[in-house]
Amino acid sequence: MRRSILVFAALAIATAACAPSVPGQSSSSQSAPPANADRLTIGTTADVVNYNPLVGNSRTDSWVTNLMYPHLTQMDESGKRVPYLATEWSYSDDGKTATVKLRDDMKWSDGKPVTADDVVFSVTTVQKEKFGVVAGLITALDKAEAVSPTEVRFALKRPDGTFLDNVGFWLPVVPKHVFEKAPSVQKFANDADWVSAGPFKLTKVERGQRYIMQRVDDFGPGTPAVKEIVFRVFPDVNTEVLALRNGEIDLIGNVLPPATATELKNDPKVTLQQIPSLGWAHLQYNTKRKPLDDVRVRQALAQAVDYEAIRNIALKGYAKSSNSSVLTPSLPDYVDPASKEYVFDPEQSKKLLAEAGATDLSLSMIYDQADPNIARWAPMVRDSAKKAGITIKLQGLERNTYLDKTLKRDFDIYAGSWAVMDNPPANLGLAFKTGGFINYAQVSDPKLDDLIDQAQRALSAADAKAPIQEAARIIHDQVYDNVLYVETFNIAHSTKWTGFKPMPSELLSILNPLSLAAAKPAG
Amino acid sequence: MTVAAIELTPRQRTWSAFRRNPLGLASGVVLVLLALVAVLAPLIAPFPEGYGADTSQPPSAAHWFGTDDIGQDVFAQVVWGTRVSMAVGVSASVLAIVIGLLIGVSAAYFRRLDTPLGVLVDLSLSLPVLPLMILVAALAGPSVRTLAVVIALFSWPEVARVVRSQALAIVPMPFVSAAKVVGGSSLWIVRKHLLPGVIPVVGVSVVLTTSRAVLAEAGLSFLGLGDPNSWSWGTILHKAQQSGSLASAWWTTLFPSLAILLLVLSTTLLSVAYNDARNHRSDS
Amino acid sequence: MRFIGLRLARGLLTLWFAVTVTFFLVRLLPGDPVLAVADPNMTEELRQKLLADFGLDKSLGAQYVDYLGQLLQGNLGMSFRQSVPVTTVLMERLPWTLILTVSAMVVTIALGIPLGVLAATKAKGWLDRLIQVTGVTAQSLFVPSVGIFLMYVLGVWLGWFPIGGAVDLDATGFGATLSMLHHLVLPCLSLVLIQLGGYVLTMRTTLIDALGEDYVALAKAKGVRPGKVVWKHALRNALLPTTTIAGLQLGTLVGGAVLTETIYAYPGIGRAIYEAVGQLDFPVLQGAFVLLAAAVVAANLITDVAYGILDPRVRTS
Repeated sequence: MRRSILVFAALAIATAACAPSVPGQSSSSQSAPPANADRLTIGTTADVVNYNPLVGNSRTDSWVTNLMYPHLTQMDESGKRVPYLATEWSYSDDGKTATVKLRDDMKWSDGKPVTADDVVFSVTTVQKEKFGVVAGLITALDKAEAVSPTEVRFALKRPDGTFLDNVGFWLPVVPKHVFEKAPSVQKFANDADWVSAGPFKLTKVERGQRYIMQRVDDFGPGTPAVKEIVFRVFPDVNTEVLALRNGEIDLIGNVLPPATATELKNDPKVTLQQIPSLGWAHLQYNTKRKPLDDVRVRQALAQAVDYEAIRNIALKGYAKSSNSSVLTPSLPDYVDPASKEYVFDPEQSKKLLAEAGATDLSLSMIYDQADPNIARWAPMVRDSAKKAGITIKLQGLERNTYLDKTLKRDFDIYAGSWAVMDNPPANLGLAFKTGGFINYAQVSDPKLDDLIDQAQRALSAADAKAPIQEAARIIHDQVYDNVLYVETFNIAHSTKWTGFKPMPSELLSILNPLSLAAAKPAG
Repeated sequence: MTVAAIELTPRQRTWSAFRRNPLGLASGVVLVLLALVAVLAPLIAPFPEGYGADTSQPPSAAHWFGTDDIGQDVFAQVVWGTRVSMAVGVSASVLAIVIGLLIGVSAAYFRRLDTPLGVLVDLSLSLPVLPLMILVAALAGPSVRTLAVVIALFSWPEVARVVRSQALAIVPMPFVSAAKVVGGSSLWIVRKHLLPGVIPVVGVSVVLTTSRAVLAEAGLSFLGLGDPNSWSWGTILHKAQQSGSLASAWWTTLFPSLAILLLVLSTTLLSVAYNDARNHRSDS
Repeated sequence: MRFIGLRLARGLLTLWFAVTVTFFLVRLLPGDPVLAVADPNMTEELRQKLLADFGLDKSLGAQYVDYLGQLLQGNLGMSFRQSVPVTTVLMERLPWTLILTVSAMVVTIALGIPLGVLAATKAKGWLDRLIQVTGVTAQSLFVPSVGIFLMYVLGVWLGWFPIGGAVDLDATGFGATLSMLHHLVLPCLSLVLIQLGGYVLTMRTTLIDALGEDYVALAKAKGVRPGKVVWKHALRNALLPTTTIAGLQLGTLVGGAVLTETIYAYPGIGRAIYEAVGQLDFPVLQGAFVLLAAAVVAANLITDVAYGILDPRVRTS
């Protein structure tokens, strides 16, 4: 006891010595109780790495650049596209031409209007230099042209009903007159004197600390209520929570770990906003490795996972079942109500393994050690498999090693999650068609390829539904993917703020440009 | 001085001085207890795995150290963590000492090697240790063995330096020259004369290096570079950090932190006490 | 002069070693740095172009020679991820690390000397024991635990200090300096806590030795007041090792700042390193290592030289 008092005394002395001249009341960091519309401070756990929206791909990069560079469309809560820079969009009857009409009241911060030329420039650059997420999604594009300052026409090489969804959602529109001066747009750092057109413009950067953005008064869709948005950098969500409770920040940009959400739920000063995920967490079995090439072995593995426990314990109930289907409840337009979740049944699992002649099965499972949810449920997968006599060795890896192994398909079992799967025909193509770049399980099934192609050619969700559901059934029955759950994200903000417009996925959540433009002080 | 004191060997005198230092004795007892916990872990608590219904419960009679966010018993985690933390600490320290002894003694005995080995030690001391450990741990992949080797690789220079300066004092002594003159082999001289001379200093190093290794293990595991298949104190803290409950579920943070503190503190106090005891000779 | 020249040569040799070791270590990291910049579904053509841009298409040996050449011209290269010069990246961070480490060192010495003297003069007394135990306890603390504890108690409960960051957004002029000090307290305190113990213990040991020396006894015999003896004679004698420790600790401080900066979201070099590992940004990593190694080499050099000036015996040995 005495020692602890003395330690504390020593601590106090050192405290005083560290700050000889700071009086207690000079703390300007405590914000005054009533929020005013002057500033909304958002916590994030990383710096902006690259300000070029066509290149930058980290979470924080996207949050900041999304406020600066408009996209053609945004998304409503059911994943349907809603207007942003584009007002209308449509395909020609043969599906080989797509047309987009733009609003005429958007301006770049240097006064020039945002026109069809900028859209054409942005998409053509990505097509030509082939970088970023968008390049892989617009392979059907032949040529983009500006019909008028407010109309863009895309000529397609083949009918592709996913094209407008993809371009609209993923492509940031950059100012042609600024970006075209760079010899290589991909190498253009865009790290000062930003010319932007979103609801907020970046005015000041203090690297490692914060990013300060001012509102744009004549922002087309309506002047934002908040004068200033500040992104503040923290080391992890623990410190973000402390800062939120301390009143230093108004919103935590990052998704709360389930345990933290459970706990903040009862905090009267904090509002939790629930956001559906557009992706899913899953296990994939390397179908090119023996004995995983045998569907019975994959089924046995799928029956050796306690899905309920993972959702209820590791995710604290902040997760929905997707009935083991890759068509998740987040996109109600495509959901197949007939799909049934794999049953956790170790005895059945043992039987299947015996049939397949794969007894004493020992496999290794890779996952990203830094992913808090997966690090939580990976041991649960191991422990439940043990009940079916299967040994799973965990390989929780440092992120880059994990990515490397994933890309080289160097694993037995892959545990991970896909973040944004916003358009099933397009995404299932990348994930399950022969040679698709996120086809980690190395699925190669001609019937499946054919069904996905059919769905991609369909020009509306209604037409795509039948083939894509059939494809999803094959994926389910063959266990090409074992979907564990769809997470319900929790985003915390201070009760002092209201008016956010939530959109699905942690990329958009309540940090999307239209939401932050609408945010206002409560009361 | 009394006659009795004269009859005591230096070792006996050190021991009798050590015995009179309550802090040193207490530290020794704590270390023995921790070692017992590490060895007897399976008898004390079941290996923490699976999940439980009582999640994020504060300490109670059923769960002395509370439970974590998936309902595992933190007490069991700390008990099993003792095993890994101490194993990493001790093996890293032993490895570091072997390397340090070899290099330190060679530098002192073979004069030509002194400068290059000195530069090597300088170099190792000038590298930023933790960032490099992060790098190497990321490179080699997480496992208990990797951690031990990585920590040892960055801990030997201190040992080498201490050993060298101690050995330098012994080399010029008449009995060493005499041994050389009568044709004793280098190996024999080193074993017979140099090693016994430096071992007491190394004793202190063992203890200090172990405690540093335990802290380093905790640091690396905390940054997510630990072994996911076993429990160490750093791993417990890392999981608490990942679940975002470092500050609120204080028991998941406090107990592993206390365990680290206890081990490091007692090793340090023990070495201080041992040093003091050895230095007692002059003022007894 | 010859002594300084020799030391300088050894320092440079050490620095070159450090550059070489880190150069190869960094490049052995698993993962593909190109992937950190571009999408995994990039074409092979783009991949090759990016590799060429980064200079990663050449053999390791050629890359190494190129890098040394650049380094001699003071050029640390371009960041892969940020497309800006590494020097710019590091210079944004360096001042914060300097502020943090230097202030921690100053406070450590300012507290360490009197505590050490106190412990030495009361050797074996209860005050001595107390100082020792407190010092050793502080030294044994695990930085992240202390960080969370301090932030929770002093930051959230008592509201005395801000959570993370280095300076307030609205502070200007003198206010900015105050705000900076305000943000500095917790990270600085953490560093001081873990450094102080070792410092005090060494101070104590050296002083006890010095107090036993003949000239101190002589001074006592001449009737100088005991307090004065300690402070004047012994203290001056103990300054030599203090200089050594201060130099050595600068090295560990700079390295140890990684955990501290990470916990407190302090925008220094340490955190930049941690981030660069994750992003496989070789040039930034490499540059940070060169900078840190140079700082430590310089600190050791200065210590050695200062030692040489203070104590002529060193020069001949």
